[in-house]
This record gives sequence, C-alpha cells and structure tokens, in this order.
Amino acid sequence: MEIEVISFGKIAELITTKKLILDFILDTDDFKKYLEETYPELNNIKYKLAVDKQIVQTNCKLKDGSVVAIMPPFSGG
Amino acid sequence: MSAERYNRQIILEGFGESNQKKLANASVLVIGAGGLGCPALLYLTASGIGRIGLIDGDVISLSNLHRQILFSTADIGKLKAETAARKLAELNPEISIKPYPFYISQTNILDTIKPYDFIVDGTDNFESKYLINDACALLNKPLVFAAVSGYEGQLAVFNVEDGNKNKTNYRDIFPIQPKKGEIPNCAENGIIGVLPGIIGTMQAAEIIKLITGIGKPMVNKLLNYNLLQQSFYEIDLIAAPDNAYKIPKDESSFLKTNFGYPKDDKHYRVLEIDIKELENLQKKDSTILIDVRETHEIPKLNSANYKQFPMSVFEDLLDQEIKENNIVLLCQHGVRSIAAAEYLHEKYGINKNIYSLKGGIIRWKNFFTS
Repeated sequence: MEIEVISFGKIAELITTKKLILDFILDTDDFKKYLEETYPELNNIKYKLAVDKQIVQTNCKLKDGSVVAIMPPFSGG
Repeated sequence: MSAERYNRQIILEGFGESNQKKLANASVLVIGAGGLGCPALLYLTASGIGRIGLIDGDVISLSNLHRQILFSTADIGKLKAETAARKLAELNPEISIKPYPFYISQTNILDTIKPYDFIVDGTDNFESKYLINDACALLNKPLVFAAVSGYEGQLAVFNVEDGNKNKTNYRDIFPIQPKKGEIPNCAENGIIGVLPGIIGTMQAAEIIKLITGIGKPMVNKLLNYNLLQQSFYEIDLIAAPDNAYKIPKDESSFLKTNFGYPKDDKHYRVLEIDIKELENLQKKDSTILIDVRETHEIPKLNSANYKQFPMSVFEDLLDQEIKENNIVLLCQHGVRSIAAAEYLHEKYGINKNIYSLKGGIIRWKNFFTS
C-alpha cells in the first residue's frame, strides 16, 4: 500500500520522503510504530497525525493512497 | 464613530454599517505584542474594534524590529505594551486601547481576560500558550490561536461551536505541553520577519469574522501555512476522546495546575517505556501497574496484575497514597497514560519512578491478550 506523507516544521527535516510503500501497515497505530522505529527522533518530539485532512484522535484504518500529515506544535510568535 | 474613517469597508457588499457597529461594540485582548501581535493590533485598531487590550511585559530590542512592525529604532529599551498603545492611539484615537505592561501569569490571566469578548494569542512560548488555552477553555472565551516557526505558521479558532455544537481547543491537538528544548523557538530556530506578519494579519481577519459573522472562521480547523511554497494545508479538527486530557474545571483548580515547563532532568521526567521494560518492571517487588482506561474499554486486563483507575475518576487516586516505588500507567494508545503519569509526577516528584507505556495496550495487544 502506498501512503503519501506530508510533514511540517522540524519533522519535515527528519522525514524527507514523500511516499512510503508499506505492506504491513494497516492503521495509524501501526504507522506511528513504524515512524518511531524508522525515525527514532520522533520519540522525543510531540506530533499529531491527520489522515486525508482529518485529525486522528483514535486509531483509524489506512488505505492505498491515504495522505498522512505529521504535525509538530510550534511555539513561536 | 466616524463613518468616513471606515467608509471603504462600510460600503463593501456584505459588510455595511451594521457590521461596523458590531466591531465598535466588541472588545479584544491581544496577548503578546510581538511578531504576531503587532500586525494583529494594527489591523484590529484600524478596523474600529471598540475596545482593545494588549498585554506584554517585555521591552523592545534591536532583534525584534525585523518583524515587530509597531516599533522603530528609537523605541529600543521602551516597554512594548505602552509604546504599542501610544502608536495605536495615533492610528485610531476613536477607540479605547488599554496597555498591560506585564507578563501574563497563572495568577493574573483569568482576571485579565474576563473583561474581553475575544482573545488573540500572539505569545512565543508553550508555557503561555497552554496557560492561555486552558484559561480560555475554562472561561469559554473564543481564542484565535497562532504559532510560527521558521517559514511556517499554524492558525486556529478555539472554543467556538460549529453548527453541530462541537468545539475544540489546543489540547485536542497537542494534549501535553512539550518539554523545554523539544521544539525550537524563534530565538533558537530563527524566523523570517514577514511570516508572523502574514499569520498575525490572519488572526485579525478571524477576529473580524467572528465579531461580524461574515464568512467562515477557522472553527474546528487547523491551518498550516508554508511561506516558501506559498501553500495552505487545512486539517479538520474533532475533540479528543473524553478524558484524553484535563482542563481545570474551576478557578481554584486552574490555580493549582502546573503550567511550568516539565523539567528536563531525567529524574524529573515521566519515562515512556516499551513492553520489554514493562515486563522487567513487572518482575520487581515494588511495582504497581495502573490501567487508566474507562471500565467499558476492551481488551479487559487481568485485575490481579493491573489496577484499574479510569481517568474520569483519577483524582480519587491522587488523593490516595501509593506505596509502590515504580508506577506504570497504561491506556489504549499511550496518550492518557502520559497525562496520568504527569499528574502523579507532580505529586511525587523524584520520590517515585513513574512510567507510561508508549503506544498503549493496542500497540502491544499480543502481549496483553495472550
């Protein structure tokens, strides 16, 4: 399954890939686990996911072509 | 009110005198007269908002001037709040502008925001952003939130119901305040001057839309703006599940909440652990494992090994003394358990080792269901 990744802020410097081909990832819980194993820095940064522009509050299924946004908080003013 | 001053927006189709009157009757507090606050204040003042408050305890420095466009070189060393108020009064002497030349704090914020209809967050640190968020959520004040970093910005309207009576706040996106150093700020990371100009101006636009009812304010949406790409990415927000976080429910609990930065020292930190570390801790004598999920959530865990204390009644646990030295919190996804761990941390400090299972029961469901 192909997932499009859009990342923001500091996370965009970590995750430079825009497309991921992932076969064992079914849902956002799997995806987070994959992200944190692949990019261990994410273990130390708070971030939120959105799938197809909807914020992820509880585990949700991913499908081929899903667009996952990975957003850190910003503090600047 | 001088109709001539506002003529170009009064003649605008869909705006008119009635909306100009709504602006004149409204009050807005801008917290932080910096990169976001300066442009927001300029446009709010020019638009004819009847009563504007601005709060900032800082003085103007040379490195502010590339983005804090209310100030000039001769202002260096002066208080931002008073300097900004003087310049804004020159721009529009027909409205009331009140400067508060001090920083917001846990003890002054509730009384400061109460007299205003709408709040603009133009602050530059998480401690203030969480303080403002929780104060506005507690008092149900519409809050126009923004934050910037590098070439990017975020914008949202919080505590305003949509057509389905749903509302959200910052903790629905980021329930736990980041630790100091986790996310770089402008002083560390840098910021292009025009970016807060764009985002702060958008904050003023959202306020004007909220007051007049024109257009569609960014209610239950988070806008991500990228200046380099000139692109916008909008996310629909829904509230986090019940008890994913706690907002103080009254003024006395607000005053007791810890809004300081969580300490960096590892002894002061809640540690997130994986299942192997949980198994190791389970073998030790003085360990308690606490499931903070609500009672209806599945899979159910063996109550001989896991004590259940749902987040909805977690305060009861805080009132009791835990005798074990190692406390492991777990929940479905590892979000609520961090909040629970932080509460226990506030209570016990370095006297107990407090852990949260990262990814929660779902991530390790083979372990919990076998």
